[in-house]
Amino acid sequence: MSVFLQPLQTVTVGSGGVNSVTFSSIPQGFTDLVLKMSLRDGSTSGSNGATWGLTINNDVSNASYSQTRLFGTGSSVGSGNAANLYYNDTAYFPNTVFTSNTFGSSEVYIPNYTGSNYKSFIVDSVTENNSSAAYTQMIAGLWRNTSAINTLNIYDSGSGSYVLAQYSKISLYGVLRQGI
Amino acid sequence: MSMYPIASALATGSNDLAFTNIPQNFTHLQIRVFLRSTNSGAQDFNYVRINSDFGSNYVSHGIYGNGSGAVSDYYNARSYNWLTDIPGSSAAANIYGVAIIDILDYTNTNKYKTIKSIGGYDANGSGTVQLASGLWMSTAAITSITCSSGNNVAAAGSTAQLYGITTA
Repeated sequence: MSVFLQPLQTVTVGSGGVNSVTFSSIPQGFTDLVLKMSLRDGSTSGSNGATWGLTINNDVSNASYSQTRLFGTGSSVGSGNAANLYYNDTAYFPNTVFTSNTFGSSEVYIPNYTGSNYKSFIVDSVTENNSSAAYTQMIAGLWRNTSAINTLNIYDSGSGSYVLAQYSKISLYGVLRQGI
Repeated sequence: MSMYPIASALATGSNDLAFTNIPQNFTHLQIRVFLRSTNSGAQDFNYVRINSDFGSNYVSHGIYGNGSGAVSDYYNARSYNWLTDIPGSSAAANIYGVAIIDILDYTNTNKYKTIKSIGGYDANGSGTVQLASGLWMSTAAITSITCSSGNNVAAAGSTAQLYGITTA
């Protein structure tokens, strides 16, 4: 019987934190990939939380990412596009000004990650906070590259100022469809 | 395989939907909800309460669209997480709301528990769709979940399915 949702790799952040998480040598035998992320930023103090980026196959220099967002802040809504980025947003996550012990929840779904088209994906994410301010967000992302995905990097988009807090957890899954 | 069915809850029209004695050997939980309320009015809501905690320990945020506009709001100091709007008893017959609810790292005693819900319903000319979040301000591992309509009486035919997800 085919495995529908196969756990591939998991990273749980230890004491001291990290400023990136990399999943490399991703198996090429699935049809889709899923990232489930329970994250908190342990360093910054911006009122919106911290934005963590996603890069693919170590592509950080070609401005080949773009995205469209729909978001709510707890009091307002908005939507926007951004082109020619050096990474995609994965979401905002709670940081040091958010309620203690509170972690954001985010899922990234990447279909057809070994296909020969550009790679489209969808992100749904929430931050949470015992306050009116918390981000609820959906992102449609695009990596303009036809290569199969073999590496995903959850990337410190704050130029070294972000640190994933202890107990943050990222799980990578492979998804199979019927007929595989 | 990493996603396992744990339990199913079925409404008869006189009960809520609840899961108890949740196994502690998974990493994440997912609940798939098909829900209508017996409450009067055209619309009610889907809530989640954890470990039978009736204290004011819940906060909710969300973004909602109803076909004519979108808003974002929040609720704090509640005794439950308010997640997705669902049809009430005066909504057109046979219409139920749906939601997929994720609770990551549900046994981690160093974290408050964050809930993410994508849901909504359509009623042929009206409806709502939502991405909502809930915070339960407790570090306790989750052992039970009530997932039902605002008046605690889900309409007959409502269901909730609980799944456990493992990690590598």
